[in-house]
Amino acid sequence: MRWWHRLFHRRQHEEKLEKELRHHLDLHTSDLIGQGYSPGEAQRQAHLALGGPEQVKEMCRDVRGTRWLEELLQDLRIGVRMLRKNPGFTLVVAATLALGIGANTAIFGLVDALLLRPLPIVKAPGQLVLLVRGDGRGPALSYPDFRVLRERNEVLSDLALYTQAPISFGNNVRSEVVLGAMVSGNYFDVLGIKPSFGRAFLPEEDRTPGAHPVVVLSHSFWQSRFNSDPSLVGRTIVLNNQRFTVVGIAPAGFDGESPPMKVSLWIPVMMLATMRWEPGEARQDPLSNRQNENFGAIGRLKQGVSVTQAQAALETINRQLELSTPPPTGQRITPNDDRSLRLISPQGIMIGPIREMAVTSSRLAGATVLTVLLIACANVANLLMARALRRRKEVAVRLALGATRGRLIRQLLTESVLLALVGATAGLFLAYWINRLLMAFKPPFPPPFTFALDLSFDIRTFAFTFLLAIATGVIFGLVPALQASRPDVLPALKDESNAEGPRVRWLNLRNALVVTQVALSLALLISTGLFLRTLRYAQQIDLGFKPDQVLQVSFNLRLQGYNEAKGREFYRQIVERLESQPGVQTASVTNLLPLGFIWLSTPVVPEDREVPPNERVFAGSVSVGSQYFETIGTPLLRGRGFAVQDTIKSPQVAIVSEKLARRLWPEIKEPGEALGKRLRVGRSDLVSCEVIGVAKDSRNNIFNRIDREPEPTIYRPFAQNYSALASVIVRTDGDPRGLFSAVRREVAALDENLPPQNLQPLSETVSLASWSARTGATVLGVFGLLGLVLAAIGIYGVMSYSVSRRTREIGLRMALGAETRDVIRLILKQGMGLTLIGTIIGLMLALAVTRLLTSLLYGVTATDPATFAGVVLFVIGVAVLACYLPARRATKVDPMMALRCE
Amino acid sequence: MKPKSDLPQGTLDLLILKLVALGPIHGYAIAQRLEQVSRGVVQVPQGSLYPALHRLENRSLLAADWKLTETGREAKFYRVTRKGQAQLETEAAGWQRLTQAVSLILKMSEGGAG
Repeated sequence: MRWWHRLFHRRQHEEKLEKELRHHLDLHTSDLIGQGYSPGEAQRQAHLALGGPEQVKEMCRDVRGTRWLEELLQDLRIGVRMLRKNPGFTLVVAATLALGIGANTAIFGLVDALLLRPLPIVKAPGQLVLLVRGDGRGPALSYPDFRVLRERNEVLSDLALYTQAPISFGNNVRSEVVLGAMVSGNYFDVLGIKPSFGRAFLPEEDRTPGAHPVVVLSHSFWQSRFNSDPSLVGRTIVLNNQRFTVVGIAPAGFDGESPPMKVSLWIPVMMLATMRWEPGEARQDPLSNRQNENFGAIGRLKQGVSVTQAQAALETINRQLELSTPPPTGQRITPNDDRSLRLISPQGIMIGPIREMAVTSSRLAGATVLTVLLIACANVANLLMARALRRRKEVAVRLALGATRGRLIRQLLTESVLLALVGATAGLFLAYWINRLLMAFKPPFPPPFTFALDLSFDIRTFAFTFLLAIATGVIFGLVPALQASRPDVLPALKDESNAEGPRVRWLNLRNALVVTQVALSLALLISTGLFLRTLRYAQQIDLGFKPDQVLQVSFNLRLQGYNEAKGREFYRQIVERLESQPGVQTASVTNLLPLGFIWLSTPVVPEDREVPPNERVFAGSVSVGSQYFETIGTPLLRGRGFAVQDTIKSPQVAIVSEKLARRLWPEIKEPGEALGKRLRVGRSDLVSCEVIGVAKDSRNNIFNRIDREPEPTIYRPFAQNYSALASVIVRTDGDPRGLFSAVRREVAALDENLPPQNLQPLSETVSLASWSARTGATVLGVFGLLGLVLAAIGIYGVMSYSVSRRTREIGLRMALGAETRDVIRLILKQGMGLTLIGTIIGLMLALAVTRLLTSLLYGVTATDPATFAGVVLFVIGVAVLACYLPARRATKVDPMMALRCE
Repeated sequence: MKPKSDLPQGTLDLLILKLVALGPIHGYAIAQRLEQVSRGVVQVPQGSLYPALHRLENRSLLAADWKLTETGREAKFYRVTRKGQAQLETEAAGWQRLTQAVSLILKMSEGGAG
């Protein structure tokens, strides 16, 4: 019989104990009667011999060892009764805690999904390791190095390779670009994944380049595009204009090894050469090129091998590789300074920059919601203390009846934990709702990079919430419980509610709580204010181009198998067709969208002087068509834009940005003087160009760098510097969305299998650049205001309480001739004193924390005086309001009533 | 309120185990048997008998079944578990050694005095 068994069959147990003792007493009594005692006397003697049935029972219960649990159950019962007796109080406290705990649960759920969760569906995720170089988290290996590492190591049971890329999928009805992965044949085996239909890849599909066009589809892709048709396995689909046989469907829930990016299909890496997605040089045999470090690797540790051991073993092989055939530096496609290999466990997001962003925002959000919870705790502690005062008599009675102080504290804590649990339960619902709201703030990456985050709560989130609730209950309950159980029995029993000692002390404690609340919410709101200023700055910033009324649409002709001539023709025709649409002012083509996801930079040297290699200027390299500058809205300071006369056969020309002109020719006074000078551009095959124009600087940097100064930029004619991956931009008279259908129609007229990508207003791309500031401002703002509301309730509560305690005093003052004004001043003075102390502490706190935000702010310093001043005024204003209401109530006191009431 | 036992600490458990090992028996019978067998020398306050029984049951040295007595009443009959049997044997052996040693010492000091 286990203890819980005994616990849950307590009543049954008690009955049996009773029965056993009764049996004993009866037998003894009848024996005694047999010895000649009278029945009454016999019964008395039997009881005496046993030593009192109740005491015996108590001792038997003691040895049962479930005492503490029984007491806990008893405490819980009392607790539930108390909560039900004061539904208003319970509701207020539970709602306050629900806000605090719910916010924390929501953020924990987010952190869990972003950073902690192991790969879903895979077998024993704890054994999986990702190979990375240096501090990187992205792709790290070349295919030849992968082969060596896979064959020579003795620490991994196997190592698989993957690389992701957009793949154009034509299904005759509507073509689209999806995210695909090229993987080694053992990929699914390493992850321990069995396709739910068909099979994974065969060993022979991992041997000969280009020989086996087979594909495994993700479950959701199969479901959404093929209606879960099981007969699809064995049939062919068209990918990048080639036929691939579907051999299997991956199990539901598996979307590749790099969440939150959802991979839709997997192809053997041997098909890489025919997929045409590598830029020019790297395309030449990506499987033998050691410079092409675009592959990620995921391995499974052998049983009993630790990550450290495995890392050491793989690093040894890596060092041998590096020494035996040193890779040519400088020309590496993905340059990495730290060449050592590291192993990390895949948890949450593993894509470097996104993970860093997630870590930063998680810290920020975590600190914020924890602050909100602390404010909520302070509020509840305040309420509990006020109630403890009312319960002093009850407590005193219990103490007088022999309850120990420890037992009493335990009972009060049980009550507060119970409150916290009720709050946490409501908080879970709230968190679910908050997280749905938060999902609206997911970074709007353009397709095919679907950002899929599973925010459903798992066991970790529930455990977190439960533990947090218990901790919260103890935190806000401990001080009131200690205070309430103070054994000053006598005055309490005498109903001397005016006893000076405890009142002063309690009030001081409550004052301290109010000060804390004001300080915390001030710090929160100042952080919010800084984000709002950043956001405003982002909106006012002179971008150097005008994104409004501009439409963008991107193409990847390489995926479609276009050669250069066919590609040029396509771009020429599509620009021409779009230009002739009604409502279109100009249209042009560019290889890089401003503030987009890609940024190419290239060395540029002037021809008229020698530049030492370490002083070479790197400039953003943008290929644009004619009328580009009119379309994008970047003014030309001097010279002309590109035009039809700039062809592949005409002399090479270039347009430089102001900044590039000054960098290349520091001696010139006006950037316009660069006109007519000559420069050389490129890494290896240098191209000599004449400068035919100078453009105003434009912040056309990479997407998350809106805050950076404009990069020096060189523009070259699209005709002379072709790119298969390019975007068409169209300046319209009105809302560019009105042109979407026309764009789709015109593209389909040229090639019905070519999917238009990123079809959206250019302003959307630009808004992605201020995403982090916008999200930060919103999230912090919401929680900051929440904190302030809680703090205001706290101030209000303390002031109301204070006023009610001073009713008599106020009545006396008014009877003696005090004016309404004087009374209000009296109350406000007290409240404002607290607020000011809180404000000063909050300011110091804010100075300390906002420094941590520096990396997320721009256009505003972390100590921006305007923000600080504004928030301080706002907080004081709210505090005045919170004090004013009770103060006004105080003036309504009827002096006669007040004087009589005690 | 702790009932006083004239027995050395831990001895009561041993005696109970021994008595129960003779065959299933209920609480009152144990109390009677203790008194009879020890010819009144061992005085066990009945109040400490039941906590001891429950403690032994709790430690799985004893098990209990509800059975009918000869008079047709339902009573709780204790019996010794395998674990209790083993415990009884170790403790009985330990007790034997202890009493032998104690009596040896006592005899020796008598001889010394005489």
